[in-house]
Amino acid sequence: MVRWIPDTEKEEAEMLASLGLANADELFADVPRKARVGRMGIGASHTEAEAARAIDKILERNRPYSKFANFLGGRVATRYLPAAVDSILQRSEFYTSYTPYQPEASQGMLQALFEFQSLWVELTGMDVANASLYDGATASGEAMLLCRRQQDGRRFLVPTSLPWEERSVLENYATGPGLTVAGIPTDPKSGGIDLDWVRREVVRGDVFGVLADVPNGFGHLDGGLLDLRAAIGSLPLVVRADPLALSVLEPPGSYGADIVVGDGQSFGIPPSYGGPMVGLFACRKEFVRHSPGRIVGATHDHEGRRAYTLTLQTREQHIRRSRATSNICTNQSLIALAFVLYATLVGPRGLAELQRSLAERARSIAGALAPIDGLQAPRFDSPYLAEFTVELSRGTAAEFLDRMRRRGILAGHSLADPRPTSPRGPERILLAATESTDDRAIQKLATAARTIVPALGGGA
Amino acid sequence: MSFRQARWDEPPVWELDPRGGSEPAPSIPGVPDRWRRKAGLRWPELSELEVLRHYTRLSQMNFGIETTTYPLGSCTMKYNPRIGEVLARRRTAAELHPEQPIETVQGALEVIWRLERLLAKVTGLSEVSLQPAAGAHGEYAALLMIRAYFRDRGELDRRTEVLLPDTAHGTNPASAAMAGFTTRELPSKDGCVDLDELRAALSERTACFMLTNPNTAGLFESDILEIAKSVHGAGGMLYYDGANLNAILGVTNPGRMGFDVAHLNLHKTFATPHGGGGPGAGVLAANETLAPYLPVPRVQKVGRNFRWDYDRPSSIGKIRGGPGSFGLDLRAYAFALVHGEEGLKHVARRAVLNSNYVAARLGKRLERPFRPLVKHEFVLSGARLKERGVRTLDLAKRPAPA
Repeated sequence: MVRWIPDTEKEEAEMLASLGLANADELFADVPRKARVGRMGIGASHTEAEAARAIDKILERNRPYSKFANFLGGRVATRYLPAAVDSILQRSEFYTSYTPYQPEASQGMLQALFEFQSLWVELTGMDVANASLYDGATASGEAMLLCRRQQDGRRFLVPTSLPWEERSVLENYATGPGLTVAGIPTDPKSGGIDLDWVRREVVRGDVFGVLADVPNGFGHLDGGLLDLRAAIGSLPLVVRADPLALSVLEPPGSYGADIVVGDGQSFGIPPSYGGPMVGLFACRKEFVRHSPGRIVGATHDHEGRRAYTLTLQTREQHIRRSRATSNICTNQSLIALAFVLYATLVGPRGLAELQRSLAERARSIAGALAPIDGLQAPRFDSPYLAEFTVELSRGTAAEFLDRMRRRGILAGHSLADPRPTSPRGPERILLAATESTDDRAIQKLATAARTIVPALGGGA
Repeated sequence: MSFRQARWDEPPVWELDPRGGSEPAPSIPGVPDRWRRKAGLRWPELSELEVLRHYTRLSQMNFGIETTTYPLGSCTMKYNPRIGEVLARRRTAAELHPEQPIETVQGALEVIWRLERLLAKVTGLSEVSLQPAAGAHGEYAALLMIRAYFRDRGELDRRTEVLLPDTAHGTNPASAAMAGFTTRELPSKDGCVDLDELRAALSERTACFMLTNPNTAGLFESDILEIAKSVHGAGGMLYYDGANLNAILGVTNPGRMGFDVAHLNLHKTFATPHGGGGPGAGVLAANETLAPYLPVPRVQKVGRNFRWDYDRPSSIGKIRGGPGSFGLDLRAYAFALVHGEEGLKHVARRAVLNSNYVAARLGKRLERPFRPLVKHEFVLSGARLKERGVRTLDLAKRPAPA
């Protein structure tokens, strides 16, 4: 008997008797015979020890990135997490609690979420943040829909360099309302967006919003973003930003963003093979009544003490139903808590210092790879922080990464769209510096690259 | 038993160090000065112990499943076994980047593959995707799949309407609207779908009927087979909202009831923690007709090994970044593995027995608007209290600390 359910066979019999039922099957008398199933066929039960052993055995087939010289980055970070983050996350009053619809039973989580929102507002220079969305990609989708509520038009402009997954997510969000996601061409030298193209499209009309990211899909800082507001006039502007980058970079609000979204996983939780994540969302106050997701507000209770509660709920699905600003209900509260915990434990000076030190390491990586023939590192001449893109002039990214793996190196990831229907682009790899990137790891990478690159594509 | 939550007079975290972090950001080699944050970041600089005290106090001002009973039906607030928390924190689970080479994440793919197959059996549907981040996200993806299906059949221009009972969870109409459908809510009869209303509403414009069974009043829709026949007769799809699957595990399943596509919530039926409103984890399950439209990538077993399959030309594409919420899949898999066939059936039996027992006891004092046999939850009416000047809200809030 599994001890996760109280073992009360005797009480069960008494409860059935008090209901006037002969057996437990009668509890399901309302399920028609023809709809019944015999067995699910999912196997016998196990003790907790047996299950843990079985699952550990499967997990042994994984090789964590910490066993490699690791240069993986992009929207998911492999960051060191202070032990104190998880010790708070494991407090069951937080992780086993329900959505704070009942503020009198949820003041702790509500306050933590209010702090989380305030932190994202501070990082972005926006007026209001919500209490989280699923991840950065879905937050971008919601931001696009919010733009459409502010501005007529059919077309939404995004950099062509946006990771293929995020482009696909946006295209799905565009399907229902019949919108089009259009790619802004990339400047071949800087990797940034072509501002002249954007200006022409805005003049052509039918554009209801623009999204750009910092760092962009190549890991670089696109100077065009700082001039984007002037290029698009009053059109809604979404900036997708990395939270650590915002600890040292100008907040997007200062260069004209209306909505700032991001991925918050790097602050507080391990990658866990891609989830759970947390989506960050903030906007200017003029946008808030059309914005998605739960928002926590600060107020006072009947005794005049500071108190917190969900607010502006008439935007949401449980009240507005088909006219809601979004269908989102369950969000990522616990990961939002991790986000504010991490930032507070590391502190503003610590965050800026971490970003500076990662940027220095990234420059060392680029410096070590730059002299190697057949590989352009970095591919673009724009500035970068912790990551940048390299391009191979022979062989494929897949072949390069596979040979690196065999030498114990996770040398970043390919930027190609893996769907067979997608056209083949240049062989580009995004490389990131992490806290484990020391001189030895960089030397190991460079030494391997010197051997591997010349042999790519059947070369010498 | 009485319970009082802590009431700390705990200020917002920034008030613990009002002057924290006011210096401008350092300059970064190679980065032009116009990028640099001139105003610095205003956030407190605190010691680790100060941070721990602050958030420990906040936790004490919160109410969780391990504090006391959390009698919510639809959200199936159940015990979240600790073994799930332990396994998800193994280095072999937590320290996996979604872009790692496939050879280094075989165990992750195997867990996903095994859980998908298990959930296919639980739902009676042929294929499962673990990509959705939550239930509503699964609804939305399923409606995009239905849309793509009708587009491929050349019927999208006319099949523009999604029907739902007026008892449907708010996410149902919201998801349908986001997926570009118009919605029509049908009046219920005695807490259940009114077959006549449904039959009158079904037409060649119907894309889908969305249903939760047992429904949000805790009643099993006993006409489900006729409902399925009617919806399919009109050429529409039948969507299962799995919020309440907990009550019927192993008794019936969406496939057997005639549903074409379903979402489940691992944070309800499979005991992953609610986390104060999230993270959840959604599951999409589809029959053979709709399976080709599931999001990419799909996990595939080749011999002893696993790979991601992106070659799905009918797929709707991606609905989020990364392959899914692996950390939660792992917790759900541990829950299912421990319970097994008999355990999961026991879960449903006990939930339904407890709910009927409590309903019968409380029904002696309060009115019960619908039929007596319920599933995992039930509805009471406060009408009789009103005579004595007590509001329903007063009763609902009573279990919470004063």
